Amino acid sequence: MSAPVLIGYFDSEAQVLNATRAVREAGFVLHDVYTPYAVHGLDDAMGLKPSRLTWVCFGAGLLGCTLALSLQYYTSVVSWPLNVGGKPFNSFPAFIPVAFELTVLFAALSTVAAFLARARLFPGSRRSVLPRVTDDRFAIAVAPREAPSELDAAEDLMRRHGAVATDLLEEVAS
Amino acid sequence: MSTSTHEEAAVSSSGFEVPPAVHRAAQVLAGVGLGILVAGLAIARERALTSLLTSGFYFLCLGLGGAVFLALMYVANAGWFTVFKRIPEAFAAYVPWGAVTILALLPFVSTLYPWAKPGVMETDHLLHEKAAFLNVPFFAVRMVVMLALWVGFTWMLRRISLRQDVERSPELAGRNVTVSAVFLVLFALTFCLAAFDWLMTLEPHWFSTIYALYNFAGLLSSTVCAITVAAILLHRAGALPQLNTSHLHDLGKLMFGFATLWAYLWFSQFLLIWYANIPEETVYFVTRLHGTWAVAFYVNVALNWALPFVLLLPRPAKRNPSHLLRVAAILLVGRWLDLYLMVVPGSQPDGVALGVFELAGFVGMAALFTLAVTRTVRSTPMVPVGDPYLVESLHHHT
Repeated sequence: MSAPVLIGYFDSEAQVLNATRAVREAGFVLHDVYTPYAVHGLDDAMGLKPSRLTWVCFGAGLLGCTLALSLQYYTSVVSWPLNVGGKPFNSFPAFIPVAFELTVLFAALSTVAAFLARARLFPGSRRSVLPRVTDDRFAIAVAPREAPSELDAAEDLMRRHGAVATDLLEEVAS
Repeated sequence: MSTSTHEEAAVSSSGFEVPPAVHRAAQVLAGVGLGILVAGLAIARERALTSLLTSGFYFLCLGLGGAVFLALMYVANAGWFTVFKRIPEAFAAYVPWGAVTILALLPFVSTLYPWAKPGVMETDHLLHEKAAFLNVPFFAVRMVVMLALWVGFTWMLRRISLRQDVERSPELAGRNVTVSAVFLVLFALTFCLAAFDWLMTLEPHWFSTIYALYNFAGLLSSTVCAITVAAILLHRAGALPQLNTSHLHDLGKLMFGFATLWAYLWFSQFLLIWYANIPEETVYFVTRLHGTWAVAFYVNVALNWALPFVLLLPRPAKRNPSHLLRVAAILLVGRWLDLYLMVVPGSQPDGVALGVFELAGFVGMAALFTLAVTRTVRSTPMVPVGDPYLVESLHHHT
């Protein structure tokens, strides 16, 4: 059973930044903030931890590089050695371009894939969209701890910080 | 960092008083360094000349790099760099000084360049074929024309920017873009020629078409490092309080990117020559992979790419001023070694010889560069108050 989520709608970037900070400082659990575009400073206001996507990128790059080098080593030294212009079979400089390309390819595709998977953006994933947050509205979603009084307090706080509308949703996919 | 202090600082901006001790130290070091070089011309002429060329070109490239950095930013309509744009402008102010250090080579062309040695055209068929291009009068004309173009354009770029402070006219921002676009095209052509003329013809049988581009990557990489160092030092001295972590982060990204571009082009040159294995091309790398040169060869790749790549990979690394200073120092030493490896092995195939002349050349020129930069920083307002992009730059956030 998921707890109800309180949504506050705002008109401007500055308001949503202030309100986000206030909501967090007041001790409410911030569910998420929805904006029509990337808002500078929102990460700080939400108190987000540094993204872990960089580690996916680094690991996938390392994997791509290793795979490329071992495949080339296996094909040109172990499995089917060919004499190319009298060069040694294990000619490291010749392996670098492929290793470079596969490092970039693995790192880039895996990072995008990991992001889409984490954000649950894949075919079959049904998401509801809050009204106007892809257009001109900024929305803060707060998950109050329990008691109805908490809800009122959170709503009041957002109103005081310029919320133009509030809404209570019974369920929001995380 | 709050916005109000930004704007107050922007309004009350003026030239920064560089501590007199720094100025005096630079004067002394420039005098001593260049004095040793001049003495070297009598004692060990080739060593002194290669040192003059290596370090002279190194710092001329930093000056030119300042102008290229500005021009690239103007053409891209970038706004983030405006807060510290007086730094690349101060670098650009060194270009006339740098031009003099390169012109100082002219009387010694026949000592420095094998194709200019007396009698060589008669005995060397390849050089005889290239004589229409490789002759001293044409070489001198090319050098003077290129240097004059650079001095002219860097002067124009600085002048427009300083006029902006007073006139605050948005039209001048448009003028910046026009002058920059013309400069970038001319610079691409003339810099290629300069790299070929001054460096590649030190070994006149050998040629590499990617050589100039590879040099250009080195120029960008070292310039971004020098800008970063200057920005951090000025910030610490209190002259640039508006510099924030996001500016440093972007400079760090450029350092990382240009170091990698350098590696890409360096390796492109190596790979094609290694693959084709044609004697007249491989001779360049045979010398450099022999004896103590081999050590310098691998250290060069470590300093210019491998170390900076690993050290700048994490995000926090690019936002930490002390860390950026260290990495920039590695890259700046690397750039010198890279140029040393281009200039010296041709005339000195036996091995690396680093001594008082190399040190004197580098320290002397570094002091000269510092003098030119601090002189400009002192006489011009640190914050370009008339630049329409200033506000965007003050609020820069990555």
